[in-house]
Amino acid sequence: MAKAFGIIASTPRRINIRGLQDYRPAAAFSFCGRYRVIDFPISNLSNSGINNIQVYLHDNPRSLTEHLGTGRHYNINSKRGKIQLLYGRQGFVNDIYDTDVSEYLTNIDYIRRMMQDYVVIMPSYMVFKQDFEALLNLHVESGMDITMLYHKVDNARDHFLNCRYLTLDKERNVLSIEDNNGNTKEKNIYMDTCIMKKSLFIELVKKTVEYSSAFSLAQMIDVKCKEGKLKIKGIAHKGYFAAIDDFTSYYDANISLLENDSIREVFRHDWTIYTRTTDSSPSKITESAHVTGSLISNGCTIEGTVENSIIGRGVHVAKGAVVKNSILLAYAKVGENVTVDCQIVDKWANISRTKELIGKPYEPGYIRRRDII
Amino acid sequence: MKQISMLAMILAGGRGSRLKELTNKVAKPAVSYGGKYRIIDFPLSNCANSGVDVVGVLTQYESVLLNSYVAAGGRWGLDTRDSGVFVLTPREKAEQGLDVYRGTADAISQNIDFIDQYNPEYLLVLSGDHIYKMNYDQMLDEHKRQNADATIAVLSVPLKEASRFGIMNTDENGKIVEFEEKPEHPKSTLASMGIYIFNWKLLRKMLITDMKDNESDHDFGKNIIPQMLSEGKNLIAYQFKGYWKDVGTIDSLWEANMDLLDEKKKDLNLDDHTWRIYSEDISAPPAYIGKNAKVEKVYLTQGSRAEGNVKNSVLFTDTVVAEGATVIDSVLMPCVVVEEGATVIRALVADKVKIGKGAKVGSADSENILLVSKNVKGAE
Repeated sequence: MAKAFGIIASTPRRINIRGLQDYRPAAAFSFCGRYRVIDFPISNLSNSGINNIQVYLHDNPRSLTEHLGTGRHYNINSKRGKIQLLYGRQGFVNDIYDTDVSEYLTNIDYIRRMMQDYVVIMPSYMVFKQDFEALLNLHVESGMDITMLYHKVDNARDHFLNCRYLTLDKERNVLSIEDNNGNTKEKNIYMDTCIMKKSLFIELVKKTVEYSSAFSLAQMIDVKCKEGKLKIKGIAHKGYFAAIDDFTSYYDANISLLENDSIREVFRHDWTIYTRTTDSSPSKITESAHVTGSLISNGCTIEGTVENSIIGRGVHVAKGAVVKNSILLAYAKVGENVTVDCQIVDKWANISRTKELIGKPYEPGYIRRRDII
Repeated sequence: MKQISMLAMILAGGRGSRLKELTNKVAKPAVSYGGKYRIIDFPLSNCANSGVDVVGVLTQYESVLLNSYVAAGGRWGLDTRDSGVFVLTPREKAEQGLDVYRGTADAISQNIDFIDQYNPEYLLVLSGDHIYKMNYDQMLDEHKRQNADATIAVLSVPLKEASRFGIMNTDENGKIVEFEEKPEHPKSTLASMGIYIFNWKLLRKMLITDMKDNESDHDFGKNIIPQMLSEGKNLIAYQFKGYWKDVGTIDSLWEANMDLLDEKKKDLNLDDHTWRIYSEDISAPPAYIGKNAKVEKVYLTQGSRAEGNVKNSVLFTDTVVAEGATVIDSVLMPCVVVEEGATVIRALVADKVKIGKGAKVGSADSENILLVSKNVKGAE
């Protein structure tokens, strides 16, 4: 049995993605056509043999609860493991009380009851591959109190602006965790992922409210780093990493999959990404279609041109239509002779009466769910 | 056990030897079809969608894969307390030794004890190797309305093909007056689809008699149906309209796949949300079409990668067509890899086969579809 259980945190309050987030939390955002963002952290845990997973829910839980269901599709042992959906308190007198720590405190009994000695905490708005079994072993062997995962980036000036970063010394001891204010391009972006003993976690949660009721877990760990009593180390993550912390980053995270063979890196036969099936049929690409450099989910009919785009399930691109550099969510329709460039088209939207929707890669457009354009 | 109205038994024991190497290691119902399905997904999904909750699957030939495949009844939603898919292979019983299924009727006879547990009023007998979408509940309504002893689903076929089928001659009310197996001079074009609804009590009695008859072939078409007719039972033909295909040969299996690309074959729409065909859930990313690919008239499923030229073809799960490769008028079954510069024309390539760099298989003017069941070495 795994030594750890997993916690998948709810989308933090500071992250607000226009349009998309009106309907669902970032965890339930469509990703790479047929997946939702939360499939990645859950598959990471499942593939690492961690079968007991707590998922914290916040606003608009409908799509997420429906998607997770019993969790059977995540290849989690149905007797020895489970996915728990936990709700935090709602309706705060002031938003500052709305923190991850308040959610953990509300559910502290369920955390105490977990049989594992360690906890792996991760976010639901980031996409990456991580073997947690290896990381956990590393954590235990190193004798650290807390192990934190970070990704070194060189575009922090205008990206990851709703993320935090770690300052490390030469031995990779964490000195501080601060908000990325975009002042330098190179930063160690904190992946909101850490490992510690369950007992330390519970202690930290309690200490946080004694320190400040408006503090998050990361802020509390920052306090502990500065106190210097705990051994807190950073571990660098390598490979595909995307943080969906604003609207453009959602677009970039998807489109970047089409470059440099990232798809092959993210979807490996030895590291399955699980999701809920919808039993759609395969897709049809007709004689009149021109499709290049794109991902096509099942259930689609493509009769027009599709270039450098990610097409969700059951999408219809009619004859003469041109879809470029765009993300079409499930069941979107692009009518005859309509051109769509650099757009995110939400589920069930139907673009047929406006013949041209052109955005820019650094400023993609957004079409709301079920809208007729 | 809860009594149920209609229980289904799917005959899935046949080898399908005309499918050659495709059925060397798997039974015909387990053969892949249409990108992501296996043939048996069709009767099983039809059962699930028709509200037939208990399904016995009679297997015999090379049944290891088929048994484990259908035993996961959850794939078709048939895994609630009152539903289930049961694998029924020949078994040794207390009062008699182990015996193979001697015929389609005998396969049912040997499982009377299983059926009795559910005490159904009607028994639906299906074939595990046909591709079609059908609502068996509507057929049952007709069976009840006509007060029938047995109802047989029939399909109108072209007269010139009628002698390949079992033909039902009916009166104006749809009552079957004569049954002819592969008649030389057919009198009607109503072909049996191998789909029967029987009143279980009556069939049970007839099966017990049939079991003891050493002269009998223990076959529904040859023995049970003619016997019922001679006894003056009320047999009704239920006319089915829509797509139906018995994929008996490599050519017809290829054709059934190509029908998915045919705009005129609207009845075969597998994207009908009111009548989904369920299958194994394969964890694979969406299909990827390469930057330099040319893809025209293609039916493809998740996990496939098309980076070369693909025309008028069906790509199954985890297939790869590399850059510079050409695939025309072909069916690539799961995990097939067509390497750089290779050409595949008018072929059906079996699971996991690799077509090496620059190799050429198939030809545009071949009479029959080429079955490629072994790796093809690349040209030097």
